[in-house]
Amino acid sequence: MSGPRGDRTRVRWAALAGVLLAVLLVASALAPEYVSVPEPDRAYLSPLQAPPFGTDDRGIPLLDYALQGASIVTLPALASGLLVALLATLAGLVRCLDRPWLDGALQAVSELVGALPRLVVVLVVALMLPRQARGLLPIGLTWALLAAPGAMDEAAATAQRLGGSRFVEALRAHGFSGARIYLVHLVWFNLRPVIVRQAAEVLMQVVFLEIALSYLALRPPPAPAFTHADSEYSWATLLYQGYAALLGLPLVHSLVTGLMLVALVAVMAQAMRLAGRAR
Amino acid sequence: MWWTRPLVRLAAAALLPLLVPAIITIALWVLPGDPADIICPPEICDGTAALAARWNLDQGPYHFYAHWVGQALQGDFGNSWRVQQGVPVGGLIAESLPTTAELVLLALVPLTLASLLAALGWLPRRLDPLWQAIGLAPAVIFALLAAAAIEIRFGAISHEGLPALVRLLAGALVLGVADGSLAAAIVGTRTTFEEEVKERYIGVGVLRGEPVLANALPNVLPALVGQLRARTVHLLSGAVVVEVVLGIPGLGELLFRGTLMQDFGVVLAASWAFSLLASALMCGQALIEILHALAIRRFPAGVLPTEEVPG
Repeated sequence: MSGPRGDRTRVRWAALAGVLLAVLLVASALAPEYVSVPEPDRAYLSPLQAPPFGTDDRGIPLLDYALQGASIVTLPALASGLLVALLATLAGLVRCLDRPWLDGALQAVSELVGALPRLVVVLVVALMLPRQARGLLPIGLTWALLAAPGAMDEAAATAQRLGGSRFVEALRAHGFSGARIYLVHLVWFNLRPVIVRQAAEVLMQVVFLEIALSYLALRPPPAPAFTHADSEYSWATLLYQGYAALLGLPLVHSLVTGLMLVALVAVMAQAMRLAGRAR
Repeated sequence: MWWTRPLVRLAAAALLPLLVPAIITIALWVLPGDPADIICPPEICDGTAALAARWNLDQGPYHFYAHWVGQALQGDFGNSWRVQQGVPVGGLIAESLPTTAELVLLALVPLTLASLLAALGWLPRRLDPLWQAIGLAPAVIFALLAAAAIEIRFGAISHEGLPALVRLLAGALVLGVADGSLAAAIVGTRTTFEEEVKERYIGVGVLRGEPVLANALPNVLPALVGQLRARTVHLLSGAVVVEVVLGIPGLGELLFRGTLMQDFGVVLAASWAFSLLASALMCGQALIEILHALAIRRFPAGVLPTEEVPG
């Protein structure tokens, strides 16, 4: 979509993405260090009885889990998204620098890195990390590095379609400065859709990766999670309680809260992607 | 040169199974702390010195790497020390690998079918947002819903006979639909064909009364094979989550149990098995590219010779 109407649409998506990101950041800042003390007499309360989300089987407010989960995922997911954005930008710029050997080297690395199933590598990294260094950040950054080849390849292909080094030469002939050519014309006008989409996807994937890894660790026999301290609770706890709800426990509100948080992240990533679309 | 890409792919495929243990070895020695303490932290392991001797960790990285790869090439991965104490890891891998292969192959069925329908133009474009919306959901969500349904129907410890088959089929369906797999298959195949159909030779072929698909397919084949490989690698990655949640005893489940229980031997062997699978996929892609290039050289037009045109 182009023209003023398209611009307005993009601004709306950007605003939505900004609001949802702000919600995550605020939730992460408000997260308690420890969840509330269990109160068995307040167990299984619905969202109406214990706003906003209700309580679980131990009487702990689901809000505590939601806030702690946000604090676990927000910054590592953002850092991973930014890393992919940076690497994709570099790949696009390299394609316009007319350095075939560097381009070839990037492609070879992409081929090797992209060949491996990502979760397998992540699990190996999780195993080798010292216990005190365990957390979502190193795992998220590993995921970002594994996702980067695809993003870099797409950014480089976009730059290639523009004409690569000939595009830069043509703009130089028009008298534009290097900074304007690379940062404005190349990155902002042309690479932006690819970079934003790839970064948003990785951001979302890292959040979902945390949920998946924590959920798997919660299954019996429960084991320490790879992505957070034992004293913290991830959004996977809500989904795990939701699983119990499917089997008959009165915890449907846990499932709904967990799914709502997953949807929030998915919508935020989509809003970012739509906000970054080309004109 | 037409053979450059397949050759690079074959070289990468040969390198990958050597590279994975090499990177793990480097990481063991680069990370702060003693390698034996990393593979089994003292707070959960005792007898670190014996462990270091058994794994050749006390003789430096090169010796460890060369010994492990040498043994692995003979199919000897040592014994599991935590997942199933004393059981040869090679046996565990051999038991779990076919299940993962079945799961991934079954998951490829809906994806291939959807790709075919997209290529033939039988899947309306207006349904794309639906596939994309479904694909936004992570595999763990679909898997937990499927696991709950199976548990309600067959019970929590139903892992034999019909329930095992249902778990496998549900896992394949989850893998094929979640994490954007289905959407990527449909949109990727359709986009590839649409780009090709814009080419002039296709228009000429249509004027000659030839079917579009028969003309376009030979030229998009390498791209489709590349997509198929990427999709399969994606499925292998997702298999870890699906196998654990649905209780399917595959390679991913073994790897996850090994990671949770800090069984380094199992993790190293399982990740190596995954790298072998990835290599095999790369080899397959390279061979198809070579065969395709040779076939194109033999029948360069990609369209039927004039005398064979019907009518």
